[in-house]
Amino acid sequence: MKRKPFDFAQGKPKVAIFSLTSDEGCQFALLDLGAIFFNFLKKVELIDFPLIEEKPFPKQKGLKPEVKPFIDVAFIEGVPITTEDFKILKKIREESKILVALGNCAALGGIPEMKNYQGKGRTVRFIYKRLNRILNPEIKEIDNFVKVDFVIPGCPIDGEEFLKYTKELIQGKIPEICQSPVCNECPKRGTKNCFLARKKVCLGLVTLAGCNAICPRNEFPCLGCRGIFKGAKVKSFLKVLEKLAKKEEIEESLEIFGIKDDIKKLLK
Amino acid sequence: MKIIVPHIHKIEGEAGFWASVAKTGEIKDLKINVLEGLRQIEGILVGRRIQEVPIVVSRICGICPVVHILNACSTLERALEIKVFPQIILLRKLFLASQIIQSHTLHLFFLSLPDFFDIENDLDLMKKFKKETKAALKIRDFSLKITEVIGGRKVHPITPQIGGFHKLPEKKDLEKLLFDLPRVFESAQILAKTFQDLSYPDFQRETLFTSLFSNTRQNFSKENLGGQAEYPFYQANFIKIADKKLTAGDFYSNQIEEDLKIPPVKRVKYLGKPYMLGAIARVKNNWQFLNPLAKNLFESFKKKNHLTDEKFFGDIYHNLFSQMVEVLHFLEESEKLIKEILNLDPEEKPSVSYGARLKEEKKEFKIKKGSGLSAMEAPRGTLFTYFELDEEGRILNCNIITPTAQFLANLEEDLKVLLPEILKLPEEKRKRKIRSLIRVYDPCISCATH
Repeated sequence: MKRKPFDFAQGKPKVAIFSLTSDEGCQFALLDLGAIFFNFLKKVELIDFPLIEEKPFPKQKGLKPEVKPFIDVAFIEGVPITTEDFKILKKIREESKILVALGNCAALGGIPEMKNYQGKGRTVRFIYKRLNRILNPEIKEIDNFVKVDFVIPGCPIDGEEFLKYTKELIQGKIPEICQSPVCNECPKRGTKNCFLARKKVCLGLVTLAGCNAICPRNEFPCLGCRGIFKGAKVKSFLKVLEKLAKKEEIEESLEIFGIKDDIKKLLK
Repeated sequence: MKIIVPHIHKIEGEAGFWASVAKTGEIKDLKINVLEGLRQIEGILVGRRIQEVPIVVSRICGICPVVHILNACSTLERALEIKVFPQIILLRKLFLASQIIQSHTLHLFFLSLPDFFDIENDLDLMKKFKKETKAALKIRDFSLKITEVIGGRKVHPITPQIGGFHKLPEKKDLEKLLFDLPRVFESAQILAKTFQDLSYPDFQRETLFTSLFSNTRQNFSKENLGGQAEYPFYQANFIKIADKKLTAGDFYSNQIEEDLKIPPVKRVKYLGKPYMLGAIARVKNNWQFLNPLAKNLFESFKKKNHLTDEKFFGDIYHNLFSQMVEVLHFLEESEKLIKEILNLDPEEKPSVSYGARLKEEKKEFKIKKGSGLSAMEAPRGTLFTYFELDEEGRILNCNIITPTAQFLANLEEDLKVLLPEILKLPEEKRKRKIRSLIRVYDPCISCATH
């Protein structure tokens, strides 16, 4: 079912790139495209991108924007941790027609979510032994707080893939991502270099393709940073894994890129 | 009077400036507010398997993941008493050099240069400086290509692991880098010209400069290199602060202290005093070991502007010029390293040997209990990583001291000197001066917080 395109005003589409608490790796994945990225920026009206311009958001302070929401496509990376993160996240949603989760942290909780599995309060004590006034919320994906229209997956995102989907997004369309596993793209598939064939934990069978199996290609197993694809046979896959590795190792591998909670939900 | 800059853009991460000034002009309070949340990376690592460490520490920072990975691997190798093969060390040095070039170029051109022309948006900068934009992008593309060839990806590399790499680069990819080099050097000269001609604010304040201390190249190459000293960046056992030479362990354990009272950043001082690190500190402490083009750039700049060493290093704005010197130095270093990895003579021209791979040397190691500390030069200064492991290879304890956490106190001291000088300026202009000084430091707030 195709959704009706969003209604954008005339002129260049208004695009903004925001960062909540994160390492900003996804913003760098864009900057690292070099000239290609700057050419893309010429096609849009850049409302906010703190890495390359000065004015803080919201910029139209005092001036009532004629059309609300003001931004056509907003990209958000990172997870909300500070009070300001939560505030700005709500504000961005109010101001945007399309809101896109940029990368693994925003979409799935990412590396920061690992702390959820260690028991709230324990992790922070390794850093600040006595202080009690540290903001320490449970890490939750941004779609727990605002409606997310589209996800650009990966840790970090792939710059080229960003451009591919953004072409449609700035026309007011929500792209369709082909739902298939990383194994479909993995050049090692079916050979002795397959991690599963070597009895090593690899999550390629349930992870959304589109990265060209960049990790397995570099002799590193897939850890699911792009999330579980729709239709993945999670239950039977976990049974396969249980034959290869200890339960503990499987659980820990699922924790790294924040997919353990999603898998639990799928198994219910 | 309160002077507030709520958000400093064009730095890595989120921070603001806050100061309170009495009517007499006396500064009552001044601070950099870190607005980034605490992700608790060190706490997250406790209890995890050591194989996960490179993946997790990489995500401390999107602009300098390489040094976080390499320093963590080096720490764990010390804890496990693993001796790393010479070829791996050369590849790692090249890997680290590429990150420094990349980070410096981004900062120099896209983050700090606009301040000198009151430009607020990089897209306007690019219109004004077309040739320089091309040059900056060329250098960045080249350094990112090195990162990708070795690490498998530009941001958050995949291949590095304890003891070496999951996969070694192909020879032909390294050779291709050499073919690109002449054009990259041309670009570096264009950018160097821009930063030579810049008028740096006249600002003087004495401080302490900290960096790794040059020791001879790793033992393995002592014979063929005559034990020559090098500009230190990848591991060194000594730290130089002011004119003192200390072991990294002594510096880390006895001389510096982390302030746990102002989360989310554990700010660091040396014997109670602020200190500076990064490009300007490295050039100050080790300029003798710069490669020829870089050394020449440094000396001709001082000569042209009639600057004594004292004057040059007394002006923190010269951190920018020092970064430019390092871009050139690390490009020269990259050429040397690639040739060394490919076993070419320094003067030899490369030829393409398709299909050939570097020889794989696999390192098996035993998991055991232990602890290790390693210090390495990140783009912004010396990074300290400390780990303790249990007998099953899980992290028991961990501490990561980033450059930005170390220089924030020094930045505040400089701002205290700047502020009285600019109190009379109109508000917008004053804010611009504040932001510009903060950006000269190239702070990385994600690293500082982690």
